[in-house]
Amino acid sequence: MTRATAVSAIARADFLERVRRYSFLFTLGFALYLGYLATAGKLMLRLGHMRGIFNSAWTGGLLSLVASSFISLAGFYFVKNTIQRDRDTRVGQIIAATPISRFTYVLGKMISNLTVLGLMVVILAASGIAMQLVRGEDRHIEFWKLFAPFLLLALPAMAVVAAVAVFFEAIPLLRGGFGNIVYFFVWGMGISLPFAADTHTLDLSGMFVVADSARNAAQLSLQNGGFSLTLDLGYFDYPLATFRWEGITWTSEIVISRILWLGFSLMLVILSALLFDRFDPSRGGLLPKAQEPIATAVPERNSASAQTTAATLTPLVAEQTNSRFLAILTAEMRLMLKGQKWWWYVVAVGLVIASAVLPSAEARGIVLAFAWIWPVLLWSSMGIRENREQTYQLIFSAPHPIARQLPAVWMAGVLVALLAGCGFGLRLLLGGNVRGLMAWLIGALFIPTFALSLGVWSGTGKPFEILYTLLWYIGPLHAIPRFDFMGSAPATAATRCPQIYLLLTCVLAAAALLGRKRQLQF
Amino acid sequence: MRLLIENLSKEYRGNVRALSEVHLALGPGVLGLLGPNGAGKSTLMRILGTITQPSSGRVLWNDSEIARHPDPLRAVLGYLPQDFGVYPNLNALEFLEYLAAVKGIPARAARNRIRELLELVNLTDAIKRPLGGYSGGMRQRIGIAQALLNDPQLLIVDEPTAGLDPEERVRFRNLLSELSGERIVILSTHIVSDVEAVATSIAILVHGQLIAHDLPEGLLASVSGKVWGVVVPSAELPALRQKHLVSSTAHRSDGVHARVVADAAPEGAARPLDPSLEDAYLSALTRQRSTANGALA
Repeated sequence: MTRATAVSAIARADFLERVRRYSFLFTLGFALYLGYLATAGKLMLRLGHMRGIFNSAWTGGLLSLVASSFISLAGFYFVKNTIQRDRDTRVGQIIAATPISRFTYVLGKMISNLTVLGLMVVILAASGIAMQLVRGEDRHIEFWKLFAPFLLLALPAMAVVAAVAVFFEAIPLLRGGFGNIVYFFVWGMGISLPFAADTHTLDLSGMFVVADSARNAAQLSLQNGGFSLTLDLGYFDYPLATFRWEGITWTSEIVISRILWLGFSLMLVILSALLFDRFDPSRGGLLPKAQEPIATAVPERNSASAQTTAATLTPLVAEQTNSRFLAILTAEMRLMLKGQKWWWYVVAVGLVIASAVLPSAEARGIVLAFAWIWPVLLWSSMGIRENREQTYQLIFSAPHPIARQLPAVWMAGVLVALLAGCGFGLRLLLGGNVRGLMAWLIGALFIPTFALSLGVWSGTGKPFEILYTLLWYIGPLHAIPRFDFMGSAPATAATRCPQIYLLLTCVLAAAALLGRKRQLQF
Repeated sequence: MRLLIENLSKEYRGNVRALSEVHLALGPGVLGLLGPNGAGKSTLMRILGTITQPSSGRVLWNDSEIARHPDPLRAVLGYLPQDFGVYPNLNALEFLEYLAAVKGIPARAARNRIRELLELVNLTDAIKRPLGGYSGGMRQRIGIAQALLNDPQLLIVDEPTAGLDPEERVRFRNLLSELSGERIVILSTHIVSDVEAVATSIAILVHGQLIAHDLPEGLLASVSGKVWGVVVPSAELPALRQKHLVSSTAHRSDGVHARVVADAAPEGAARPLDPSLEDAYLSALTRQRSTANGALA
């Protein structure tokens, strides 16, 4: 088998395995939803107070930027499981015993990622035709102008995302939930850095390519032609002037810059192959020691005793189904916290102290935001641990699994929130700020309930890690009261937001209960 | 103490029928549940373990239907699934304490019980090691220990000896025998010798259907006078296999010594042998396949 055949076989098998799972419908649904948002005018590309008329060039430019901006975020999370799947299904061990090289394997996986992301881009491109016809400003479809931005802007960006996903999977530290959070910030930097540094070199999304060309067509200067791709959250309440744009002139310089991104993704694949452990657990240098199998056997009794040892078990007497909530809660806390490194606790304590002693309320709020993002990986295991570690058969076959174990899991999450944010809460208490304290307390209830509910329904910690980080970034970190579920900004406590989050917490708690009940009735 | 399985069927997505109209009535003792891979044994175990709901039919524990009221059974259930996990960062003691709390066992009783169980499954020396570092056999022993935590009246063990070394297998068999007095034990396996050693009754499941449920003596009687010992040259073994059900073979200096299950003695110098449970099991499987093929034809 040649290397090319092997690569295509790996990519094909991985792709088929993906598309035959129900979760793939979410992937396609997301692409369709983006297409709908753009068609409905919820996603807007603007140059100052102007926009292009919806001809093929503008439609293609807008949608290709939607792809390279939004699919590069969500798509990463959709595809970052390709090597992990081989670990989980233990197919990896079979593959590891074959002559296939690490590069071939990783390249095949990257191509499978790219195929999935490419499919999302194709769906978005197809929706471009509908968008142009629905908008009706120019119904003449020009295929090259419509599709060239997808081919030359979006697809190279997707290749990089596909390669970054396998790169994250190749590094033990980035393989799990921590990597999910890190990528969010990597993505944010990737989008904002080219603008902040005003450099075309880092323009992965192709935003500069579209902006420069459109700005020329609109005859706007850099100052009054500020370029933005915006998701409508109800702010588009003024009409934009229009101009006609005939699309990007694909100079060799632009084309080469896009090809260079393909080269960059190939370099990432090579690097990933070098770092990939080939499913050898002993090479996972950053894995906790507990994951490594014991090399030496535990001393056994002599064989004679095996034949003769009687089973001397003391029978249990009556009253054997007490509710031992505190014992379960202690065990759940242990499950959450055990395995954390010492420096994790040092940082957590440091954040508690800082959120208590900083003089400015605003600064304390920012520290609280960090104190409540720090345990995100503890919370993201809520409601999924039983499935992830395959202990659900043991736990769900015990009496009253909903009444006994689920509340303990939830309470452990709340305790973690209270402990991590106690510095901020203590300061509110001592200052007699009752409304602030209530908002903080609601935050401490909301976070673990959100985690538990998403965990129970999705069966994985990924949705919570992504959505929580996104919400945290928009709300508490930027002190926007509407999204400040922590009550970290001084102004939030005076609004009705805490009550809304309390209501949401109740709804999420009910959803978690229903979700667990559904799991038990499977 | 009574477990009644009535017309139990289970169908998975895509019309895959895992169980079909299974009917069983069980009292105290060890039921050895035999069947080839994919026979539906684990599905039946999961239904009895209150993990999966049947598609139709019902299971009654002391006249209470477990699909509607699972908790009375769960309170007295010990369940060792075929595939189960452990929390890798907890040690054996912490893990068993956790499950004891989940099962509602009072703290003091749980402590004593866990100590005895760890002694029993020979894990006292590894008590403080994180479970993530345990070998497959050690994890299996932890599974056995957790199943016995609450002194169960119904003990369900699905392929319990998988991953155990021969010595531990013997220990586990002895344990099952001694535990079986006043409780119902269901031992699901495809290792006939495990069942032979401990079962007080045997059920055979094939393609989701219960094809036999009898005492070991009853099953043995079904092949009584039908097991033969023959010695053939190695070259003739394939022909013998084509004509008859050969339950075992052993190469010796004078040829291959084969155990043959057949209504009449095979050609040549065949001598009658005492039937074993393996002969009875294989014979039942072969009969079932012939019937199924006949029905298809």
